[in-house]
Amino acid sequence: MNRFVTANPSKCIGCRTCEVACALAHSDGAGVEGLGPESFKPRIRMVKTADVSTAVMCHHCEDAPCVNSCPNNAIVYRQHSVQVEQERCLGCKNCVLACPFGVMDVVTVPAVRQFAVMTLSLGVKAQAHKCDLCIGRDAGPACVSVCPTNALTLMDRDAMDETLRRRRERAALEAAEVAA
Amino acid sequence: MEKHMAVCPYCGTGCKLNLLVEGGKVVGAEPLNGVTNEGELCLKGYFGYDFINDTKILTPRLRNPMLRRSRDAAFEAVSWDEAIQYAAKKLSEIKAKYGPDSIMTTGSSRGTGNETNYVMQKFTRAVLGTNNVDNCARVCHGPSVAGLQVTLGNGAMSNSIPEIEHTKCVLVFGYNVADSHPVIAKRIIKAKERGAKIIVCDPRKIETARLADLWLPLNNGSNMALVNAFANVLINEGLYDKEYVANHTEGFDEYRKIVDKYTPEYAEAITGLPAEDIREAMRIYAAAPSATILWGMGVTQWGQGVDVVKGLSGLALLTGNLGRPNVGVGPVRGQNNVQGSCDMGVLPTEFPGYQKVTDPEIREKFAKAWGVPSLPDQIGYRLTDVPHLAETGKLKAMYVMGEDPAQTEPDLTQVRKGFEAMEFVIVQDIFMTKTAMFADLILPATSWGEHEGVFSAADRSFQRFTKAVDAKGDVKHDWEIISLLATAMGYPMHYDNTREIWDELRELCPIFYGVTYEKMEGLGAVPWPCRDLDSAGSKYLYEGNVFQRPGGKGLLFATEWRPPRDQLTEEFPLILCTVREVGHYSCRSMTGNCAALQTLADEPGYVTINPKDAKALGIRDQELVWVSSRRGKVISRASVTDRTNKGAVYMTYQWWIGACNELTIHAVDPIAKTPEYKYAAVRVEAIADQVWAENYVQQEYAKLKGGLSNAVTGATNKAPAYA
Ligand code: SF4
Ligand code: SF4
Ligand code: SF4
Repeated sequence: MNRFVTANPSKCIGCRTCEVACALAHSDGAGVEGLGPESFKPRIRMVKTADVSTAVMCHHCEDAPCVNSCPNNAIVYRQHSVQVEQERCLGCKNCVLACPFGVMDVVTVPAVRQFAVMTLSLGVKAQAHKCDLCIGRDAGPACVSVCPTNALTLMDRDAMDETLRRRRERAALEAAEVAA
Repeated sequence: MEKHMAVCPYCGTGCKLNLLVEGGKVVGAEPLNGVTNEGELCLKGYFGYDFINDTKILTPRLRNPMLRRSRDAAFEAVSWDEAIQYAAKKLSEIKAKYGPDSIMTTGSSRGTGNETNYVMQKFTRAVLGTNNVDNCARVCHGPSVAGLQVTLGNGAMSNSIPEIEHTKCVLVFGYNVADSHPVIAKRIIKAKERGAKIIVCDPRKIETARLADLWLPLNNGSNMALVNAFANVLINEGLYDKEYVANHTEGFDEYRKIVDKYTPEYAEAITGLPAEDIREAMRIYAAAPSATILWGMGVTQWGQGVDVVKGLSGLALLTGNLGRPNVGVGPVRGQNNVQGSCDMGVLPTEFPGYQKVTDPEIREKFAKAWGVPSLPDQIGYRLTDVPHLAETGKLKAMYVMGEDPAQTEPDLTQVRKGFEAMEFVIVQDIFMTKTAMFADLILPATSWGEHEGVFSAADRSFQRFTKAVDAKGDVKHDWEIISLLATAMGYPMHYDNTREIWDELRELCPIFYGVTYEKMEGLGAVPWPCRDLDSAGSKYLYEGNVFQRPGGKGLLFATEWRPPRDQLTEEFPLILCTVREVGHYSCRSMTGNCAALQTLADEPGYVTINPKDAKALGIRDQELVWVSSRRGKVISRASVTDRTNKGAVYMTYQWWIGACNELTIHAVDPIAKTPEYKYAAVRVEAIADQVWAENYVQQEYAKLKGGLSNAVTGATNKAPAYA
């Protein structure tokens, strides 16, 4: 099963701490002072409507529409998650339209090439941009660790099994009550 | 990487954290397992530290003392010696010419800490010889202190923050906990998970209203009517605790007479709430085995704030929800150390430790300890009186420390006139602020992160914070600056460190005596009263239902509802209520200089408006609009949302361009003198030329930022010797 981060709307208070943590976790070490209106591109977004506040991000679908829609096989399943191979991304935006949750985006980043002594600017490069589960971050998903109300959880097979077990137990209890 | 323990400088929750330091620079913050935060931090706690590093995003840090010899001159950087001598001379002259009561000082409820506040009030009373010392509690929880002192005898939260999680009912009144105290919001969510009922009284659909069992969207300005109706239901439905009322309260008959008229049906017309919902709320509240009332600025920032506070404490008294764990009344403090500045006596009425300036024995005790023949016995001026006092010539000099009244006080035009009318203004701060632009002398202080001390959390817990980095530039600790000034004015004052100050004040304040630096080591938190060295402090007040009033009983108090002061008219048909948002703090001098926080929200800020009102005015979401009142006119960005009730608009108060305090009214509570920030009649207008408006905002913003920054760089360049 692919892992994914899930948000609990009855706990979310709409504070956007997760957004900042996500942007920071992908800032290549620039730290908070590197953040600004242009560079702020979190892969998780807090959504507030009249009745709901919650965070939305990639579900790391098992049969992912974004993966299926990519003409250049840039989106792959890796380490129990859906990941983008940025070198292969064309910026065609098929995946953006394919994702039913609106959590895939295409952004442009400055493209550079490093030589031994110099950095060469190559204009801009498109990137399919979405939650990568903070892959490679030792402490795991940054958003989950900062949420002040613990509204976010990392769901892996074990967490999912535990949730399902609890739901079945509740269903059984409810069934027993109905029978009694 | 080094780690330095600190307490978050952004709200009264008092979250403990480590500042991560690399190469003399703060590079991160991580939560610690403090008593109130238990390993959590919010947006500001995690990402609100980079202002220390002088990011200059909004305003520059102050690096040198700066003096301007006449109001039309530019600031020049001067040496500390010159700055202190100049201030001492000016203050002494003004004191000699107009008397001590022509000078006023402020404490700071922010990053400076309790020790500084103690030293400031000592300077004011012992050296200047006046009780004219106040702090920004005046504009926030002043009414809570004034009200609770009358009814229960103590102005603070009765129970501790961790207990909120274990109560069986939370009544949230005029308190947007998610935006004000996110880490306390978690406690409420946990309480709910443990089966507590949540009742929310707020005109807006705030986050807590979403998870409430019952949400009462009352009309803006109807608080007193609702609270009286609550009491009416408790009494008339026999839901109150008769034994408790008989044994532990007084004033019941008088109280009953007043609330008798406020039947839910009568209140329905004023509050706009169905009578049945008002009843239901009190049935839930009274049925809970333990219940907690929490409130915020939605209760206090009114012309009738004190009365409503008294009324709320009455509900707790009627139902016996005091004097034991997991119950009580909670005025949850906004600024991180506003509880502390009150604790330390930066109040015109009280010495540190809530000892009255009008009590001759107390005065005698302090005079003896401070080595002066006598101390002033007249109650001093309040912060909100300042503009008027200055304009009428009663106040000639002001020493403002770590506050920005030219941003945060109501009716800013009035405030500016006040500052201009004064002969001598000292501003002591870490940043160049709008208030500092009125100063004759600017004294640069060390910031949170650059000094140590003790803060008081909202629940009366004293906690220590340590220094993480060395300050850059020619700056000094706040308490050091005050001591130098005192000495220059002929009162030798010297402290080696904050502990020395703390030990001096402990000795003078019986309720703090047992709170030693040792007990606050590491994650230690000690809630006062703590009278003995072997006591761990008091998590909750009024043990055994003994109230801190003569006779030991709680006072039941009610009064008639009064409509708000400002009048809605055809010209100004909407109610403006000022609020706060999660990412910014106070006047924004700190958070506005934090990259992450400024990225999430920048000028001109939002005015939130209901879709129906917006449609009628031809305003679309995210468009720039004019907001005007009888007092001023500002530009703001519309946020059209169903969460805002029809007929009212809301603005946060930290913006310069969208400065809602240009619009607010100077109508204050008669007792606490807290302004009615929550109700001003305004008009909102669409702007046809949005491109012009966007440019206007950018230009004005750049102009303001440039003005502040030039004042600092100009002065520093002129005198490179001190740069
Ligand atoms: S950090 Fe948590 S509470 Fe805040 S917006 Fe994100 S999910 Fe919601
Ligand atoms: S981007 Fe959208 S479609 Fe692709 S895995 Fe994530 S949620 Fe599924
Ligand atoms: S798991 Fe990492 S990448 Fe995904 S939303 Fe959270 S912080 Fe962003």
